[in-house]
Amino acid sequence: MYNATMITVRLPQKQKKLEIPGPRRVMDLLAEAGMRPTTVIVTQGKKLLTKDHRVEDGATIDVISVVSGG
Amino acid sequence: MKCKRCRRAEAAVDLPSHHAAFCPDCFFLFFRRQVTEGIRKLRLLVPEDRVLVCVSGGKDSLVLWDVLMDEGYETEGLYIDLGIDGYSDRSKEKVLAYAASRGKAPIIVELAKEGIPIPEAARCVKMQECSICGTVKRYFFNRVAAEGKFTVVATGHNLDDETARLLGNLLHWQRDHLSRQHPLLPGGDGGLVRKVKPLWRVSEVETAAYGFLKGIDYVTEECPMSEDATSLVYKEALSRIEDRMPGTRIVFYKGFLDPSNPLRKGPETAASADAAPMPEDDPEVDAKRVSEVDTEEVRGTPGACASCGAPTYAETCSYCRMKERVRKARSQRKARGSR
Repeated sequence: MYNATMITVRLPQKQKKLEIPGPRRVMDLLAEAGMRPTTVIVTQGKKLLTKDHRVEDGATIDVISVVSGG
Repeated sequence: MKCKRCRRAEAAVDLPSHHAAFCPDCFFLFFRRQVTEGIRKLRLLVPEDRVLVCVSGGKDSLVLWDVLMDEGYETEGLYIDLGIDGYSDRSKEKVLAYAASRGKAPIIVELAKEGIPIPEAARCVKMQECSICGTVKRYFFNRVAAEGKFTVVATGHNLDDETARLLGNLLHWQRDHLSRQHPLLPGGDGGLVRKVKPLWRVSEVETAAYGFLKGIDYVTEECPMSEDATSLVYKEALSRIEDRMPGTRIVFYKGFLDPSNPLRKGPETAASADAAPMPEDDPEVDAKRVSEVDTEEVRGTPGACASCGAPTYAETCSYCRMKERVRKARSQRKARGSR
């Protein structure tokens, strides 16, 4: 559900969703979500976000792991 | 943050390892230059090459195919359906959709039809799935390339893959594996087709960013068989280091590839290793090929497998031996079931 007072952080590969109060920089959201910057890309719709990008309350971002194994 | 190249557009990708940040258009230029420089420096490809690109549906292989096509290489895609419930169907869909968007139709090998789907094979021979998968894939990469008159096989291994493998080989002092780790494995007589890894200079984040910005729809879920892969442990360790000291990974790998590095000597001059091979290693064929990169010494040509005719230094190739073990285990299980 849309939450105008929080940032929604989706982790699609883990099928998890976090609600974090904003505004916050992407790198701070990653730290909060326990993800390291060199292992993910962060997207908002069709946009790719840099780690210093400021995310406002009400926004939804996706944190996509890029690590492949095997 | 503004793009460090054009200084006008907003940056979309920040790369601390390069002290840079790029807008999408400048990032495309940067990425393609990284790949083409990697190809040029190690002479991986020539313009006349006919390239068989091995595509899994993941970001790396689809991005590799995309870049090689954009660079004007003649390419075809090869998809190997591993027979993994659900995952294989979803990754095949991505490959087919991408190929169609570029007016291509990939060559498809179905392991279930070949009698060796990975999950069943792993149960039958009691080996790790990744290890079996590596052997089977290498076999079909070479076979399809040789039959289709391709001059080279290209895989999507990136800097993170290569440094993880390097770290694993170093930690276990696998000197013979170290000597044969290289983005170029030359081909030769006896049916061995040259193998290259053109993405060796770019990281997983860079490849994922390129795929996302280019609108390439790749499978983001991980292979369910690779959850316990040891390469993930090494990747985790390296990404922690990279976070604190950006640029370490590329320095690590370039230093390793330096021709003066004593670890890059052929296996005959290196001590033998006792530890189990990494999944990507082929104990029979690749050792011979990579040592040729370093020493330019002809070590003789492989013979033909007594069963299938594929190049091998043994009487029967590792694929046929594995397939035979699967066949035997399957018939034993059937016999037990019918008692």
